Amino acid sequence: MRRFALLGFVTFAAVLSFAGLAVAQDKCLTCHETIEDKPSTLYKHDIHFLKGISCAACHGGDSKSEEIEEAMDPAKGYIGVPTGDAISQRCATCHSDPEKMKSYKSTLLTGQWEALQESVHGKLAISGKEKIGQCTTCHGAHGIVSAKNPASPVYPLKVVKTCATCHADASFMRLYNPSLAVDQLDKYRTSVHGARNAKGDANVAECASCHGSHDIRPVKDAKSSVYPTNVPQTCATCHSNTEYMKAYNIPTDQFEKFTTSVHGKALLEKKDLGAPACNSCHGNHGAVPPGISSISKVCGTCHALNADLFSTSPHKKAFDDRKLPECETCHSNHAIVAATNELLGVTKEAVCSRCHSSTENIKGFAVAQTMRSLIEELETSVAHASTLVDEAEQKGMEVGEAKFKLRDARQARLQSRTMVHSFDEEQFREIVDKGLNTATTVAGEADEAIAEYFFRRIGLGIATLIITLLAFSLYWYIRRLERHQSKAG
Amino acid sequence: MLWQKLYKWVDDRVQLRTLVEFLGKKYVPVHRHSVWYYFGGVSLFLFIIQVVTGILLLLYYKGSEELAFESIQFIMAKVPFGWLIRSIHSWAANLFILTAMVHMFSVYFEKAYRKPREITWLTGMLMFFLAMGFGFSGYLLPWNELAFFATKVGTDIAGVIPVIGKPIMIFLRGGEDVTGATLSRFFGFHVAVLPGIFTVLLGIHLLLVQRQGMSEPLGMENSPPAEKKTMPFFPNFLLRDLLLWLIVLNLLAILAVFFPWELGVKADPFASAPAGIKPEWYFMFMFQTLKYIPAQIWVIDGEILGVGVFSIAGLLWTLIPFWDKKSARGEQNRFINYIGLFAVIYIIILTTLGWLS
Repeated sequence: MRRFALLGFVTFAAVLSFAGLAVAQDKCLTCHETIEDKPSTLYKHDIHFLKGISCAACHGGDSKSEEIEEAMDPAKGYIGVPTGDAISQRCATCHSDPEKMKSYKSTLLTGQWEALQESVHGKLAISGKEKIGQCTTCHGAHGIVSAKNPASPVYPLKVVKTCATCHADASFMRLYNPSLAVDQLDKYRTSVHGARNAKGDANVAECASCHGSHDIRPVKDAKSSVYPTNVPQTCATCHSNTEYMKAYNIPTDQFEKFTTSVHGKALLEKKDLGAPACNSCHGNHGAVPPGISSISKVCGTCHALNADLFSTSPHKKAFDDRKLPECETCHSNHAIVAATNELLGVTKEAVCSRCHSSTENIKGFAVAQTMRSLIEELETSVAHASTLVDEAEQKGMEVGEAKFKLRDARQARLQSRTMVHSFDEEQFREIVDKGLNTATTVAGEADEAIAEYFFRRIGLGIATLIITLLAFSLYWYIRRLERHQSKAG
Repeated sequence: MLWQKLYKWVDDRVQLRTLVEFLGKKYVPVHRHSVWYYFGGVSLFLFIIQVVTGILLLLYYKGSEELAFESIQFIMAKVPFGWLIRSIHSWAANLFILTAMVHMFSVYFEKAYRKPREITWLTGMLMFFLAMGFGFSGYLLPWNELAFFATKVGTDIAGVIPVIGKPIMIFLRGGEDVTGATLSRFFGFHVAVLPGIFTVLLGIHLLLVQRQGMSEPLGMENSPPAEKKTMPFFPNFLLRDLLLWLIVLNLLAILAVFFPWELGVKADPFASAPAGIKPEWYFMFMFQTLKYIPAQIWVIDGEILGVGVFSIAGLLWTLIPFWDKKSARGEQNRFINYIGLFAVIYIIILTTLGWLS
């Protein structure tokens, strides 16, 4: 162990000596140190200083010359303090050159400047002369340290404040995107991620974890890591990583379950942007799991009618008393599948039967049984009417009006599924009866159309028979007439 | 008998006997091409069907952008036998153009347009163009998607004619685009303007046919009267006509029942054109030709060239009695046959290609 400590000390001393040697040759620093200006003071802690990179690498000029006029001679490439895009371009001379980076034994990826130019921060600033963001905007200038160094402004515990420098500044953000909220940091601090981050956990998600760093794109950009269809995968980067999540003791199957859910299929397979992603229920910057009593409100942001009906139903109190999560109890959370009739009723698979039986909570048992039979009756009637309409249409009959009415019957079927959440038999029956009546009318009209189809064929048969008889009579008459004419003449 | 009494009653007042005697003395030549004579009669029958079914449709049809489609839907679904009337009207329209076309080509190949029947040919040709106008204007009336875009394409083609094209297009459309205004004027053309002109031409055409009789094929004119076979127009030819009309009527009923004319979906002027927009079959050969012509030929726009060539060809075809001097002199003119044969083959091939594309 001592041997290792000694080796470490020797290596550290060697690095410093090398840096010192380089610095000894850097006359820029020698002079600036004497005047004790801020850049030279900061630069001594800079990772570039430690790598032996002189001031001239960014500012140009001759760092070996002791003569100020010669050292800062524009003819020798001196550019002074770079401004605008020239800042990032100076950084890119090394950071976009893999060979150069290799020579400094760096394991950093290259191409940050290229990524930045493609990003939302790479758009032109209001001056119209430079990009909105430069490397120094986030990394600082003379005191740059590794992103893994807690002193770095892009270190996970600090990056949220670095981003907030601009993003929490309403007057600044108004210049570029007035509709963009400026309370991300405040919300973040209310989230599980933000709370842990504030306590010093550098492993929880911060801005860059979800939005990326150099390649940040607007949320509406399909290539953005936070574009609705990409959000689940972005969250899963950490939340599906069992090793990573071990410390937090939370499940890691959310993404897997979500992909099989009705929401996941709509979002990821059908690319339906109206379908919810993780952030739709959990929030994004203020991400927390919804509380037991607020689930119906969260689901209700989309399923408004269902939520309202549930909130006014007797189940609301019953669920709250038993601390049952509202929608989730029957529908599950990440693995929500399309609600089928099997969920309703008193059969083994039905969720109602978990609490209601013929001996316990009897009233609900009877209502569930009736609702199931009514909804099945309605579905059968709508399907029957639909089949008849299809048949009539296939036979070439005009059934536009019946098809239009069929939409009402289907609508009633949908409404009845929503009305289940009232758990009120009377209200439910009203909707079902409306649907049943419409389906019966449609089926009657389709039946009539089919009967009309056969009537037309029979009619045609009779007409053809009459016409054929007439034609034959006429033919016979012509023959007879011409026979008479030829005899006569 | 009641029938004889009724005949006598009318005869006492309007001298029907004279007319019957006139018809009885009228003879139709009998030869190996006599069958073509019947197509004129069938066309007339189909036109009468069109008039009758058209008047019945008028009782329910509403010629406006908002109500046209729905009124046809109502006719098809609610009006007793409305489906039958509408389907017969649509089928008879197509058969009418087909039989009129066959009639025209038979007259052409028989050179029946030659002196003294130039006016009969001219009125017939004008009626044929009017029939196409009937088809074009009637196609839009249900205000469905296909009809809407086909009318758009059709009127666009009219618009390419230099100088007069644009005003013609605007006149036809009732504005820059196909709108409810187009429907209103197409309805007007279809039920008032075109039938009015057509009836006058048909009257002249039939009068001339009765006055001049059926044309005999070239060569037969010079045969000795004893060798000429004929048949009395009344009742022999007319009864045969009636027999054919009965068969056509039955055919129409079969088509209407087994292939009811579809209504499609209502036109949406803001929707994009559906794929495979095609005109009615009788415009197909011209439409297909325009598709094959390159966009630019030398300095001339391909479409203008196509429209120009068809216009000139149509004009020459119409004026054939005046430039086919050989046939007028009673001599065989093979050149005319070759042109006709080329036209028939061209129309069949291009129509088939258009149908398959």
